[in-house]
Amino acid sequence: MASRPAARWTPLLLHLLLAAATLVVVFPMLYAIQVSTLSFEDVFVFPPPLAPGPAFLENLGRAWEKVGLGRLLLNSGAIAVSVAAGKICLSVAAAFAFTYFRPFPGQTLGFVLILVTHMLPLPVRIVPTFQLMHDLGWVNSYQALTIPFFASATGTLLFRQFFLTIPPALADAARVDGAGPWRFLVRILLPLSVNNIAALFMVEFLYMWNEYLWPLIITTSDDMRVVQIGIKMLVATDAQAEWNIIMAGVVMAMVPPLLVLVVLQRSFVRSISLGHEK
Amino acid sequence: MEGRFPERGLPYLLLLPSIAVIALFLLYPSAEALRLSLYELSPFTGQGRFVGLANFREVLSSEIYRRSLGVSLVFALGVVVLGLSLSLGIAVLASLPLRGAGVYRTVLLWPYALSPAVAGTIWALLFDPSTGPATVLLRGVTGASPNWMMSGGYALAVTVVAAAWKILGFNIVFFLAGLQAVPRDLQEAARVDGAGAGAVFWRVTFPILSPITFFLFVMNSLYAFFEVFGLIDVMTQGGPGGATEILVYRLYQDAFIATRWGIASAQSILLFVMVGALTLLQFRLAGRRVVYG
Amino acid sequence: MTPCVSAARWTFARVVVLMLALAGLGGEAEAQAPVKITLWHAMGGARYDAITKEIAAGFNKAHPRYVLEPLYSGSYGETVTKAIAAIRAGDPPHIVQVFEVGTQTMLDSGAIIPVTDLVKPGDIDFGDYIEPILNYYQVGGKLYSMPFNSSTAIIYYNKDVFQKAGLDPDRPPATYQDVEAMGRKIVASGAARHAITFGWPSWMLEQAHAMHNRPYADRDNGRGGRATRVLFNEPFGVEVLSRWTRWAGEKLLAYGGREYAPNKAFLAGEVAMLMQSTSQVTTIEKAARFRVGTGFLPRIEGQPAGKSVIGGASLWVLRGPGRSPEELDAIVKFFKFIAQPEETAKWHMSTGYFPATRTAVALLRQQEWFLKNPNHETAFKQIQEGPDTPNTRGVLLGNFVQIRNITDSAIEKALSGRLSPKEALDEAAREANRLLDEYNRIHK
Repeated sequence: MASRPAARWTPLLLHLLLAAATLVVVFPMLYAIQVSTLSFEDVFVFPPPLAPGPAFLENLGRAWEKVGLGRLLLNSGAIAVSVAAGKICLSVAAAFAFTYFRPFPGQTLGFVLILVTHMLPLPVRIVPTFQLMHDLGWVNSYQALTIPFFASATGTLLFRQFFLTIPPALADAARVDGAGPWRFLVRILLPLSVNNIAALFMVEFLYMWNEYLWPLIITTSDDMRVVQIGIKMLVATDAQAEWNIIMAGVVMAMVPPLLVLVVLQRSFVRSISLGHEK
Repeated sequence: MEGRFPERGLPYLLLLPSIAVIALFLLYPSAEALRLSLYELSPFTGQGRFVGLANFREVLSSEIYRRSLGVSLVFALGVVVLGLSLSLGIAVLASLPLRGAGVYRTVLLWPYALSPAVAGTIWALLFDPSTGPATVLLRGVTGASPNWMMSGGYALAVTVVAAAWKILGFNIVFFLAGLQAVPRDLQEAARVDGAGAGAVFWRVTFPILSPITFFLFVMNSLYAFFEVFGLIDVMTQGGPGGATEILVYRLYQDAFIATRWGIASAQSILLFVMVGALTLLQFRLAGRRVVYG
Repeated sequence: MTPCVSAARWTFARVVVLMLALAGLGGEAEAQAPVKITLWHAMGGARYDAITKEIAAGFNKAHPRYVLEPLYSGSYGETVTKAIAAIRAGDPPHIVQVFEVGTQTMLDSGAIIPVTDLVKPGDIDFGDYIEPILNYYQVGGKLYSMPFNSSTAIIYYNKDVFQKAGLDPDRPPATYQDVEAMGRKIVASGAARHAITFGWPSWMLEQAHAMHNRPYADRDNGRGGRATRVLFNEPFGVEVLSRWTRWAGEKLLAYGGREYAPNKAFLAGEVAMLMQSTSQVTTIEKAARFRVGTGFLPRIEGQPAGKSVIGGASLWVLRGPGRSPEELDAIVKFFKFIAQPEETAKWHMSTGYFPATRTAVALLRQQEWFLKNPNHETAFKQIQEGPDTPNTRGVLLGNFVQIRNITDSAIEKALSGRLSPKEALDEAAREANRLLDEYNRIHK
């Protein structure tokens, strides 16, 4: 922003402010982790103890057993990965079709159809989609939890925008060398798109891992349940909420998406920045 | 043609999976929702009689639905205002040249990884009316012992804070990207002309940020309307007295608890109208910038 | 939906299912393979363990030819909806647990096999069943669903807090006036922050009506024909809600949310008294760090005497394509299993739901269970006293799930001061009556 910090903002002050802001923002997550390590009695002690307690593994074991956390994590992971992968494949393919071929009849219609999905979030079509799953016999199945999410307007747009920034000469050179569109895609375009692929993977993995409403209504048995619903089950208990156990579950639900975020964060940020440096 | 491959059939093949999925799982159900909204349906047989716009009349004249609409608007407003202002402030701070600021920028994004349900669970703990640390703190400082199960306003406030918190990182990342793209020379020029830091920000930086701000406004609104179901379900289940019952929660109640398929479909169509308006607005005003989210 | 479209969808679904079935079933043709029946239920927490580890495991062991597979499908509301959707898709579970408010819906579904049609006379001694339970699920002399987990509401109280406040720890409040007097003393002494709370607000309103022999809806409480009007906004209902609202205003009442959410505050010692389902008695006694006492629901002075009403859920048998005689037999055997005195007594001990038969009660007495666990007997004693009228049998309403939602909301609005009790109940009655009209139109 400023080319040099104005005299009033000393680096120390800035660090303090930023550290304070960051701490405040991250505090709820830290508190959750802290509570997951405490024994039940210590949860309600005020002020809360600052050092991690001894009970994390025990709490995790109880949460694991209560809702079958292992299976839940597996399901969530499988769904998130397959949808992210599926979305990337379909988006890249569609964007490729729109950018690197001669205009074909139906092109605009196809593009519009893909864009229109932006206006059709799940609640707009939830009852008929629910019924459709029943008609297809897909209730409580991996197909129901993944396939309807495979198309992506944002992904297609993202890749199309990106492909447009690549000099057409590259494609021409490939053609002259005798390479077909497939080789061009795999050998040249994909490697160039790694950043965007990573960014989209991050966004979509997070989105599917965190999806709640659809698994809630379409799952009917323990073996298909996802971790978000497991959290709800831990919270919606008859008796006293054992927050330490709930937080142990929360930690397990938090860790995989957090890992994905931390690993792919750079690509995500880069992808946005490049997009805005028009 | 330059930069294009000559194959004629391949593009169709490449588009086929997307179009197939979209047609079957998005377009068909949406059209079906429109059709169902015109019927009064029995949940067991799926049979019903055509009632034209009666479901819409019923929904729009229902006090419960109107209240839900109001709640959604207030909720979205709260999330947008709180989310955007806080994140802009933090982003401005984090964009100043500072050694080690990268650490802050990285960590600030982390809440974005959490689901609304998880965020709701954590904030439910923080604000637990009997024993949550925030409640205890409030009690110590102000003497009041707020119980969100007894006060609709308070429940709404807590859920807004939880929802805004979750989206902070996302907003910050975009503001940072936007701030970095602001041309330095413009700001320098303004400063040379004698403008103070505040004026430089509001007169130069903020207007340049406006496309991003607008984009985030739309994304945050869509988020507040459509993506916080898990948060509400975990924290308040729409209570007390419907004070936190956003439209999607109302829809869920009518569709999946009361099994009033026709009424629920009418609500779905109304949601579509709202999304449509918002999206059209976005496309008109966002111009040709990348639409990401 | 045109018949063509629906027939086409039906056929398509059938074909897909058939193909999937053929694909998956290599050796199912052997007569040796156990016959599987599925049960969709909404029992979470400790009750989940009881169903899976005790009941299902016990049944499967006793009947190796049959396998009962219990599946937790969410809350009561969600379970019913999923079952309905499964019925429409032609792939329903064998048995589904439906809460009492779903009774009218199930009766009108056309998708059930009434228990009296399934169970041959003499197979199960229904005469041994505790009457209020049977009366709830019997309509027109026929038993449609199998009673399984029946409860009623009682008041729990913290004996230690009572003692600290100078009250007799063995004397729970008997009237609303008692609640107010005792409550004020408790709060003033600082023994607890609040005096009372309750879960399931709508159900509590229904209980209040039944306890004072007042109708909740017309047509004999919905039992003489489909109800068309609710009556909870009459002066009696308004009086009840006004009392609760006054308690809230005095900070005697701390509303803690619907269903079981307020248990937290009671267990944390924040609130001295809790009106809640008896199905929580085992859980609460285990989790409490204080002495727990129980009593009958407090009555309002000067009002006629009625009886508390049954809540909980029952098991409904769903018709399905290709139900083999073995599957039906398995279902009957399962019902016989849970009707056994040992089983229903065990279920009671693990949860607090009623032991369903008199023989089971006798068995428990023999084991001196009630002597050692007096709190478990309170609810049982409560439903023995009082007249048996349509008002005390429990109201039957169409769209009852949604109507409960509306009354919950109305009670919350009154308690939080948004609306006066009369306004809240009138608004709720308007919406409820619209729902009843809609229901009656659909199910002509």
